[in-house]
Amino acid sequence: MLLVTVVIAACGSSTSSPPPNPLDDKASPPAGGVELQFWHGFSAGANQDATNYLVSQFNSQHTGSIRVTATYAGNYDDTFAKYKASIQSNQLPDLVQIYDIGTRFMIDSGTIQPMQVFIDHDKYNVSDLEPNLLGYFSISGKLYSMPWNNSTPLLYYNKDAFQKAGLDPNKPPRTLAEIRDYAQKLTVKDSSGNVTQYGFGAAIYGWFLEQLTAQADQQYCNNGNGRDKSASKVNLNQPTDVNVVDWWTKMVGDGIALNTGRNTTDAQNAFKAGKMAITLESTGVMRGFQSAVKFQLGAGFFPKPTDTTSGGPIIGGASLWIVNKKPSYVQKAAWEFVKFLEQPQNMAYWHTHTGYFPVSKAAQSDPSDVAWRQQYPLFNVAIDQLHQTKLDKASQGCLLGVMPATRQAAEVGMEAAITKKSPPQKAMDDAVASIQPQIDQYNQAVGKS
Amino acid sequence: MEAASSERRAGTRTAGRRLAAGRRVEPAAFLFLAPSLVLFVVFIFWPLLRTVYLSFHGSDIVGRPTIFVGLDQYQLMLSSPTVRDVLANTFLFSLMTVVPSLVLAVVIALLLQQRIAGIGVFRTLMATPFAFSVATASVVFAIFFNPGVGVFNSFLQLFGQHPVGWLTDPSRALASVAVTTVWLQLGYCVLVLSAGLGAIPEELYEAARLDGARALAMTRHVTLPLLTPTLFFLLVVTTITSLQSFGQIHILTRGGPAGATTTLVYSVYVNAFAFGNSNFGLASAQAMVLFVVVLAVTTVQFGVLERRVFYR
Amino acid sequence: MSALSRTLTYGLLAAVTFVLLFPLLYAIAGSMMTPQELASYPPVLVPRQPRLQSFADVLRAIPLLREYANSVIVSLCVAAGQLLTATLSAYAFAFLRMPFRNAVFAVFLATMFIPWEATIIPNYLFMADAGLINTYGALILPFLAAGFGTFLLRQFFLSFPRDLYEAALVDGCGHLRFLTTILVPLSRPALASLGIYAFLQAWNQYFWPLLVTKTEEMQTLQIGISRLRDIESAVAPNFILAGTVLALIPTLVLIYIGQRHIVRGLTAGALRG
Repeated sequence: MLLVTVVIAACGSSTSSPPPNPLDDKASPPAGGVELQFWHGFSAGANQDATNYLVSQFNSQHTGSIRVTATYAGNYDDTFAKYKASIQSNQLPDLVQIYDIGTRFMIDSGTIQPMQVFIDHDKYNVSDLEPNLLGYFSISGKLYSMPWNNSTPLLYYNKDAFQKAGLDPNKPPRTLAEIRDYAQKLTVKDSSGNVTQYGFGAAIYGWFLEQLTAQADQQYCNNGNGRDKSASKVNLNQPTDVNVVDWWTKMVGDGIALNTGRNTTDAQNAFKAGKMAITLESTGVMRGFQSAVKFQLGAGFFPKPTDTTSGGPIIGGASLWIVNKKPSYVQKAAWEFVKFLEQPQNMAYWHTHTGYFPVSKAAQSDPSDVAWRQQYPLFNVAIDQLHQTKLDKASQGCLLGVMPATRQAAEVGMEAAITKKSPPQKAMDDAVASIQPQIDQYNQAVGKS
Repeated sequence: MEAASSERRAGTRTAGRRLAAGRRVEPAAFLFLAPSLVLFVVFIFWPLLRTVYLSFHGSDIVGRPTIFVGLDQYQLMLSSPTVRDVLANTFLFSLMTVVPSLVLAVVIALLLQQRIAGIGVFRTLMATPFAFSVATASVVFAIFFNPGVGVFNSFLQLFGQHPVGWLTDPSRALASVAVTTVWLQLGYCVLVLSAGLGAIPEELYEAARLDGARALAMTRHVTLPLLTPTLFFLLVVTTITSLQSFGQIHILTRGGPAGATTTLVYSVYVNAFAFGNSNFGLASAQAMVLFVVVLAVTTVQFGVLERRVFYR
Repeated sequence: MSALSRTLTYGLLAAVTFVLLFPLLYAIAGSMMTPQELASYPPVLVPRQPRLQSFADVLRAIPLLREYANSVIVSLCVAAGQLLTATLSAYAFAFLRMPFRNAVFAVFLATMFIPWEATIIPNYLFMADAGLINTYGALILPFLAAGFGTFLLRQFFLSFPRDLYEAALVDGCGHLRFLTTILVPLSRPALASLGIYAFLQAWNQYFWPLLVTKTEEMQTLQIGISRLRDIESAVAPNFILAGTVLALIPTLVLIYIGQRHIVRGLTAGALRG
């Protein structure tokens, strides 16, 4: 056993070399051109189709010099887990799309080349990008990854149901209290007392709690939402969050909200089937909703916990990361592809085909984008919502190495409260306690505690 | 599974006896055993030791083992507020899958013993669940369980009942996952039991019938005792399977709601592989607990129950 | 049997069969319904206008045929590997003289009581270190040997007439020749049982393929089906059910047509001894 220990220890020891500066390296690309491996998290559908279209456009423009191969690596969680695993096995892709909450880990992993390095070298102009987007993905003024498919949450509602309930279909609720009022009117029962339509229902999704926290202008974790220095504690049990959970619990308890569990698919299906009149979802599903529902779809700003003017949603979604464990020509090729995706007409294509944000103002004023939004005015809601958000620490969102696990812990807490297993305060206290050891371990491991 | 009994029998065979009368050792034996042994060492025994090793170490942010931490991971696991829930869920899940599976399978297998026209068709059709894997069964049941549009709640409403949160209510979710599992393994259990019943010699029934035994008495005094080896086999297999259940939990509930369906195996998965956790140290400590639990359960089953099994 | 009890028996049989069949029937019916039909109340159990659109959608959305091929390749390799390793080791245990035979056999038996999940982390790390993640190697290698197979075949070989073995050796027949020309052909039923058993086990695997496959192209069928719920273009149940029905075809055919052989394979462990 002792021998075993020694052998394993020798195998397990990590050797982290400093990231090579891509601009110093004089290695030249192979004659046949550079092959780029790009991992993304889009399953078959509009998003994957749009990705593949843009990749093929890029490839045909760079025949003989760069060839991008796009690979679906599973959903966001899976892509993230796989990236982690590939650090172990040293089978890293060249470019990878990672969700917002993986940001801190990506930086700490020592495997990525900050976008800022390329931006500085190329004198690339990022001032046209939406400041809220840059806000999330920049740390101390340095942009680490390039915003690409970004979204905010919205409130979706069934206009037909509003009409039937005597509510103004053009006035979606703006606060949680309003949702409750509306939901009471929107809940319909049949003769035997069974609910045929719930007023409200949304997936028990930690992202919504993070968003509602920011909407109330509160920070989700300490140390300036992890942006002054590494966060060492999460604020899941602060009054704002507990009140949100309490509100949700009562909605379900009073029979005016349907609990479909954590799976977002189940909530989407129930909303599409008219089982609930109001739901919360990402801007990214708007196209899916539009094509599937048999009623008039409405969309409004994501609700605020209380009636305040401060606070706003965090920009969600994912961004593009260039891997630094590759020769300079590979990294530069990846940077070329990133720049290509950000070009206004390509971004406009992306926006109009997926529903994700047009990340630059130039893209938003691209004629194709303007024409499209005239056709589908609901897409303006998300852009208006973003433009009305003041960028501060709260709406920048929490940066935390174990953010995916924290979201998970938050969901367990929310569930415990909503299903009446524990009172909201205790449920969220437990959630904080359960995640604390992981935060400590992580910070210890990267030497930042 | 029948290791003990077969050993007994092998010992009395002439083949076994003559082998023991050792002439020289045949080197070919080692060559023949080598492929299996090498694979066992690489993929079972060495990993088991490494699990022990990992459980005594911390890990860095991508999961590589770092420093020796002694029993810290075990302590962390035991001091976690959820540890009792996890163990209780594991135990309850086994109970809720094994017992109904065996009882229902016996009833169905006896039903299928009836000598009536068309019984062969019933027998074939009843094996249907066996065509499902954990994944396909769970995907279909997930649709049944949907609280808003699922067919289970529709049926409840048809019968004047209120819809329930099959997978969203913590007091029900584990049972719902268990229902899925019982359905899934019923096909297999019925097949095995039917085969066991078929192997009971007809003369025994004849003899009992001559003694004037009625159907129920015959089942009780002839069929069931003779079925005990098969039942014991199924008991061991379904218990081990239930302790290892993963797919149905991963697909149906992801261990929720509020941890209500988080079992040992699922807990290992969450800590090691889900949500980018790669907390291999803690997960390994839990894997060791799983190992001990499985070992203990099978030992108890062999030690206590096997003695009551009626071997022919 | 009286007419009454006969009717009762049939009623009971029909009821139980319906319950056991319901998920399959519903999956087939649902795969041909519209999302609205599936979500309607009172529940619709038969599609008003059966449509095959969902099947086309599934085939377009995921590389189902490729996943099929992956599952077949992996399961066949595992079955073949287990047959090979188990035949060799069972032969050694049944026929050859060696020291510590019982101890070594106990080691083989012990592998059956070590849950795979207890060793899954190191195995995963091993595959990562060996660069085998997302390859057939990772899906196949760990399952090429199994204690159960050895146990099963040894039982069978032990019942083999000893005289035949000795006569063959006297004739100058080597172990390998005896094995391939005499023993294996005579053991076909036992080998078929083990083969089917190993194939089905590999076919149904979920946890391990979930961990070691990274791309849709390397996913096995089971993972592909469970991921249907993540497909953003069509998360409707009819789509998921269509994929499930397609995935079930081979095993359905297998159990409806080859049930007798499977029974032998699956119950082999139960009925010997």
